[in-house]
Amino acid sequence: MDRWKKWKSHLALFALVVGPGIITANVDNDAGGIATYSVAGAKYGYSLLWVLAPTCFLLVLVQEMCSRMGVVTGKGLSALIRERFGLGISFYLMIALFFTNLGNVVADFAGLAASAEIFGLHRWWAVPVGAFLLWHMVVKGSYRTIEKVFFVACAFYVSYLISGFMAEPDWKQAVKGSLIPNSAWDSDVLYMIVGIVGTTIAPWMQFYQQASVVEKGIPLKHYRYSQWDTIAGAIVVTIVCYFIMLACAATLHKNGISIADAGDAAKALEPVAGRYCAGLFAFGLMSASLFGAAILPISTATSICEAMGWERGVNRKFTEAPHYYSLYTVVLFAGAAVALASSKAMLIPIMIFSQVVNGILLPVIIFFMLRITSDKTIMGAHTNSRWFNIVAWGGAIITASISILMVVMTLLK
Amino acid sequence: MEKSQTMIPNLVASGLHNKATSADPAMPAVVFYNLSDLLGCPVRYEDAQQPFAYLYDIGGSTLTAYPLAAALELTLRKGRTHAFIPWSAVLSITVKETVVRRTTDPAPTADFWARRDVLDDQVVDVSGAQVLRVNDVHLIYSDNKLIFGHVEIGLRGILRRLKFEKALNFLAQWLFDYTIKDSFVTWRHIQVMSPGGVPGGLRVDRLSDRLADIHPAELADILEQLGVKDRQALFNSMTVETAADALEEVTPEFQRTLVSHGEPGRVADILEEMPPDEAADVLRDLGPDAQNIINRMEDEAASEVQTLLAHKEETAGGVMDSNCIEALAGDTVASILERIPKLTETVEVYNLIFIVDEKRILKGVLSLRELFRAPPAATLDGLISHELITVNPETRLKDVAREFAKYGFQAVPVVNAAGILQGVVRYDSVLSHLADILND
Repeated sequence: MDRWKKWKSHLALFALVVGPGIITANVDNDAGGIATYSVAGAKYGYSLLWVLAPTCFLLVLVQEMCSRMGVVTGKGLSALIRERFGLGISFYLMIALFFTNLGNVVADFAGLAASAEIFGLHRWWAVPVGAFLLWHMVVKGSYRTIEKVFFVACAFYVSYLISGFMAEPDWKQAVKGSLIPNSAWDSDVLYMIVGIVGTTIAPWMQFYQQASVVEKGIPLKHYRYSQWDTIAGAIVVTIVCYFIMLACAATLHKNGISIADAGDAAKALEPVAGRYCAGLFAFGLMSASLFGAAILPISTATSICEAMGWERGVNRKFTEAPHYYSLYTVVLFAGAAVALASSKAMLIPIMIFSQVVNGILLPVIIFFMLRITSDKTIMGAHTNSRWFNIVAWGGAIITASISILMVVMTLLK
Repeated sequence: MEKSQTMIPNLVASGLHNKATSADPAMPAVVFYNLSDLLGCPVRYEDAQQPFAYLYDIGGSTLTAYPLAAALELTLRKGRTHAFIPWSAVLSITVKETVVRRTTDPAPTADFWARRDVLDDQVVDVSGAQVLRVNDVHLIYSDNKLIFGHVEIGLRGILRRLKFEKALNFLAQWLFDYTIKDSFVTWRHIQVMSPGGVPGGLRVDRLSDRLADIHPAELADILEQLGVKDRQALFNSMTVETAADALEEVTPEFQRTLVSHGEPGRVADILEEMPPDEAADVLRDLGPDAQNIINRMEDEAASEVQTLLAHKEETAGGVMDSNCIEALAGDTVASILERIPKLTETVEVYNLIFIVDEKRILKGVLSLRELFRAPPAATLDGLISHELITVNPETRLKDVAREFAKYGFQAVPVVNAAGILQGVVRYDSVLSHLADILND
């Protein structure tokens, strides 16, 4: 009885704190992410599944630092970077963030277009209507509702789990692929691995999660629950990735079908895995794309305004926070317009550019995060412990070298 | 440096003669500097040609309305060591170089450091009641004194520091005949938030006496924009009354942090100061910590809050004031009027009198105006004229709102199944609840 009471109070506190970690991790599974995981599954079958567990670990490592900074300081990441490293660095960092986030928004609207077409909606309908709806919801001040809707929408990712099962994977092979890294080690495989890690740990996530933690006003003494939130998010996202790869491995790889993006995957699934499996897959893609397209522009505007000291926040009016709404509107509509106007062939260089900026930005941000989280004047008693620092620097160096590798390989391709 | 003289109308009062710039030799020259132009400039001894250090930071002393530079922090050429010198050792300072004399005097402790505590950090603008991020600091150099004049918060400061100022200003002039404007706030209105580099090491020297003048909604806005430690420091520096007003206005998320970081005894005092339904709202989101605070509240306030907490949030019982003016049906008008000053002291709804019988069963409602107009000898039961409209503790707020809309009340009494008076729901409690629904 006493234990039950204790559990109940833990759960009650967790319920107050939960959100930022899980939402961030789930937006992470946006159109670009789904594309990468599908291609990985289609091309390499079960053999790359082992990459996901270490990626999950790195994700927790990085995101935990963000939510800790948020809870301890009550400030967003870009504000902390500005205060600690000055205006110049923050400014150029924000320009890079703007472009890589814009690239992500383009990918999301392209994903929306692809999934809408699978359901028979023309892209010239789906994208403008989607963009305008998202814009309207935020500017008319009901972002809180959207966030709640999306929190529920996270449940839609179950559709990937179901389609993973419906694809009837070879479980023996899957387990083997998850535990033993035995892929052929050529440059293509390496590029794929780098791509998986790079799309799972993206710079916007650190800014977004920390900002959400700050906005939630999580008290320091409840920080433990925030850690649970981060870990839960990372695990959920990894499971979803796992099943996407599984579905594509069991069907597309087995039949030797090659694909280029997530829309392809959904279409290609239909003849080999059945209508429902393909439909579920496309539905997951659509909700992921909308989710990403809703949150990334907000995150971009928030981060930049915070670094520059401009008024921000969805609960202000346009005239109170003009920079904020201008940035938000530009990112949203520019993303939609580029996605609509570009053919598939044109989208590829845009995506490559965005990934390159992404890859350069991430190590820089992780480096700043490690400096800030080790700084006693900022973090007080909550600096990284020695062991955490060793592991974190190790992880950061791995993540950083992977993303630099990604840049180099992308440019060489 | 073409800043106009009108920027600092109050400097004359603070003892600075700034009638003219260097034109008149009898008057000391006044030069304006931007902090960003001074930082990093070479520093040399008067008897040397080569610089021995670079200017890293300027420490200010807040004894005057416009702080004076009290010390300099230098980075020595060799290695990354820093040295401090008192302002008294400075012979001259320009954007090209700073000349100092050799001294063994220790540097005084500064109240704040411009680079560490102000530049790129958040400050509170007391007059505009807003939180600003500082892009640059304007300094006034005159009579070998360096005075902190303004903080720059606009685009121009950003551009200057990014070295785009000249190019962009030229472009703007040439293309649109537009001059990018300075945007600054005078130092008299600035509260530096983290002096001493210790977040939360706030010395609320400007704010404390002005906090009560700032509208609670603006105070709440300031609190929400600050970091955890500065926010808590500011909140702790408020009087209990101001803190209660501000707490009422901040979002539930920030209510929770402010309260759970606060000292429970003080939080209890602040909550007693708030209307009970607002206090209950704060406590409701607090989880297990709530009881700890309720235990420290005065008995009456504590029991009132606990009654509210026992009901669901979205019902009349969850927002009602259990404290209202009650009178017995047999009382005379004169006896009530006599007690009015005392009766209205602790209640939120002061203009309605709830008439009950010995069992506290509600018989009627009388407004203060009706009471004033009635003959002094009349008993209250004779004055009850209207039909009695009541709600139950379980009535949902939406339905309470309908009653308000229908009858135009300012407050509606809450009775239980037996008709016994439980409390009263204020119009504004329902309104703020409806506002929450609209915001969602």
